[in-house]
Amino acid sequence: MEVLPTCMDVEHSRVYIDQLYSNDSQKCFQAVSELKFAVIGSVREKGSIIEQGVVVRLLQILRAPELDILLKTEVATVLNSLAKGLPEHAAALVQAGLLPVLWEQLESCPSGGSGSAYTQMLLCCLRSIYRQGCAPPPPAWDQKLLSSLIQHGYHPPSNQECVANILAHACKTNEQQQQLVDAGGADLVACLLCSPVSRVQLPALHCLTAMCFNNERVSSIIATKSYGGKAVPDLLVGLMARDRPRDMQLAAATALTFLHRAGALSADDPRIIYKTLQCLVRMCRRDREVWERVEAANTLAYLTEVSTDLQRTAAMTDHLIHTMNDYLKDTTPPNASVPQGISVSPVSCRQYDNPSTWPELMVGAALKVYASLGANDEDIRQRVIKTDVLMNTIVTSLSAASPPVQLAAVRCLHSLSRSVHTLRTTLQDHVVWRPLMTVLKTSNNEELVTVSSSTLCNLLLEFSPSKEQILDQGAVEFLCGLTRRPHPGLRLNAVWALMNMAFQAEHRVKVSILHHLGTDQIFRLLSDTDVHILMKTLGLLRNLLSTKGHIDQIMQCHGKEIMQAIILILEGEHSAEVKEQALCILANIADGDIAKSAIMSNEDVLKKLMNYMVIPNVKLQIAATFCISNLIWNVEEGAAERQNKLREMGVYKLLQNLMTTTDTGLFDKVKTALQQFH
Amino acid sequence: MRTNVDSDTDQSGTNEGVKAMETSEWLEETNKMHIHRADMNKLIMNYLVMEGFKEAAEKFSIEANIKPPMDLDQLDERIRIRTAIQNGQFQEAMRMVTALHPEILDDNSQLYFHLQQQVLIELIREGRVEEAVVYAQDHLAERGQRDPSILNELERTLALLAFDQPDTSPFGDLLHPSHRQKQVASELNAAILRAQNQEETTPLLAELLKLLLWAQDELNKKKVQYPYMTDLIKGQIEERK
Repeated sequence: MEVLPTCMDVEHSRVYIDQLYSNDSQKCFQAVSELKFAVIGSVREKGSIIEQGVVVRLLQILRAPELDILLKTEVATVLNSLAKGLPEHAAALVQAGLLPVLWEQLESCPSGGSGSAYTQMLLCCLRSIYRQGCAPPPPAWDQKLLSSLIQHGYHPPSNQECVANILAHACKTNEQQQQLVDAGGADLVACLLCSPVSRVQLPALHCLTAMCFNNERVSSIIATKSYGGKAVPDLLVGLMARDRPRDMQLAAATALTFLHRAGALSADDPRIIYKTLQCLVRMCRRDREVWERVEAANTLAYLTEVSTDLQRTAAMTDHLIHTMNDYLKDTTPPNASVPQGISVSPVSCRQYDNPSTWPELMVGAALKVYASLGANDEDIRQRVIKTDVLMNTIVTSLSAASPPVQLAAVRCLHSLSRSVHTLRTTLQDHVVWRPLMTVLKTSNNEELVTVSSSTLCNLLLEFSPSKEQILDQGAVEFLCGLTRRPHPGLRLNAVWALMNMAFQAEHRVKVSILHHLGTDQIFRLLSDTDVHILMKTLGLLRNLLSTKGHIDQIMQCHGKEIMQAIILILEGEHSAEVKEQALCILANIADGDIAKSAIMSNEDVLKKLMNYMVIPNVKLQIAATFCISNLIWNVEEGAAERQNKLREMGVYKLLQNLMTTTDTGLFDKVKTALQQFH
Repeated sequence: MRTNVDSDTDQSGTNEGVKAMETSEWLEETNKMHIHRADMNKLIMNYLVMEGFKEAAEKFSIEANIKPPMDLDQLDERIRIRTAIQNGQFQEAMRMVTALHPEILDDNSQLYFHLQQQVLIELIREGRVEEAVVYAQDHLAERGQRDPSILNELERTLALLAFDQPDTSPFGDLLHPSHRQKQVASELNAAILRAQNQEETTPLLAELLKLLLWAQDELNKKKVQYPYMTDLIKGQIEERK
């Protein structure tokens, strides 16, 4: 029969806390020991101790150089336990200034020797804090600290585990990645991957992943490292084998994925296309746990985002498209509980704390996979579209879900909208543009708005039946507004969308565009630093100025400004491509009955046209000649006067000279033009 | 490209109702199998070391002329802790574990709960009702709040208090000392081995038996007829019908 502990007795606890402040090191040690037994395993006690302000005293003890190392070790043990409590406990410790003290103490410890138990506890403490994700990331590491930390990471296994975890959770910026590699981090990780202890291998994998992410230089260095005669990528393949724990397989697959995406391993590397991809697909199966399926699907989506080969392979691996469908229908099982003892990656570890969010996580992951799979290949897109509840899920997610899932839905829709067939059929049956417009109008998330506007662009292509309905929704005004946004991606998509909208559009649509955009804004767009935006704006003008009747009407209202804009381009420092567009617009204007006069009355423009006819660039010559051709077109009223004027200026002679050209396209244009003259 | 053979819709043909072989044939084949003495010895040593039978391991090491996989003094702490548990001294066991491996109880919340549950059960068994309630409130309530599966267990345990004769109550199984204590002892033992960076935390013999039982189960599901081991301890084989 045991006597119960009385440390829950308030009187008693006050006594030992008071003793913490004693100068008698024996009494102090006793008190710290009692404290240790009280806080270990009890979240409530941890909170209570922190509230009582004991942490300050504990830090004081650590910092006092004269105090016994056994006492300090015991204090570090207590702090480690406190750090393992709730996130707020760890945050409170950081607030109290724990981190600098720990680093300082670690520095003063010799590697190995008598300080080793203390060193171990310090590292444990650091690791526990970093794992909680509340340590503010410095923009860059302290070089000296980093080196000594890495040194500690070579021996023994418990230190290795701590160092790997610290680095895995702390490495967040590009600069840190570089520093880590330069300080020997890659060598350390390669060594740790070969440890016989899986508790060391797993955080080493997370560390590797954190280093490689989106970093070309670091990834290429890591891919060439080896340990024990095996290259790191091969070591990773070994850790992905089916007899390994699931979290390890996933971490290894993620590492390989990041190496591929950062360019260190190509898409046709067998380790990627025949190993990594399969491992991830396997982990998406119905009989796996939720965290596994979500992580695997997200990683798979990232893996297959760009390469068509990978997309095609994935689409035919193990009924993947069908498996993803299951994700869309999943509901949380009633006895769902948070994964215990599983080490999910530092980035997503908090995601699974609340089982009620799991269905949404599944939907988001599946939509991302579909978005990647359907990005380039029409066959895959058609198979994806046939998926049972996909369209309904997209439509609901666009309006009702949290921003990450909304984004996934839009990305999926964007991939699907690249298919003409889909635009004309499925995307009509499910009115997707309405929630899409709502997202565009109401969201503050730049990424979301950019992808949405891209999708809208596709929906507005001429052959899209939903075009009319979108227009009725005030799309024109909205898109014109978007052209004023600071983000260049948005401006581009907006102008592109307007360009699509104007293509073979009715007069009223063109009028609406010009009205809402305004010639001022057109000028601004034509002066945009991004040349793509410039090109699309010219494209927009060209589309507006098509069809004779429209040309005349538009030039009547805005002729002066439009001519100014074109001259601006022709006189400016632009590539030949840009100038060609401007000349084509002139050619369109020259097609209008009344609009012709805008050119004919402008000697400057006529001279420019003549210059372009003789400039050594065939495309520009063709465009200029075409313009002239339109101006002198026989059939039209006033042709004789125009021909005389141009003949006087020397155009006829120029054309005759051009007959010697070797370019057939130009030759045809010149011949046609000459035939018009009489 | 071949489809992945793991797919559950890829059946290469069913074996339902197939007869594997005659029992006599089976036994003959089994007898032909030769297992090295050295391997057997290693299995036994592994079991002894893992379960903490130090004296037996030392003796066996001499008799079978086999080197123990580690310094046997390392077993001492695990032995002391297991002994404490077997004697019902759970508080003492918890303090010992914390002194040696301070992270274990923080990192293994379920284990800590089971240990505390044992304390609670002891109090209830001894009729120290008031103390039991206080203990539950002070230590276990917060754990139950955070983890619904623990709450369930906790409620079952506290329900014992409602009965005059708890051992005949529907939750009486909780009071059976041997099963529970052995479970907790094994759980704790495994946690300590993990903290010592051992990859294996259960004896290989146990794993082998599990494999045997699993294999038999799979064959039964597919209705294959084969000589079926009914008694693992005696190695008794019967024709499966």
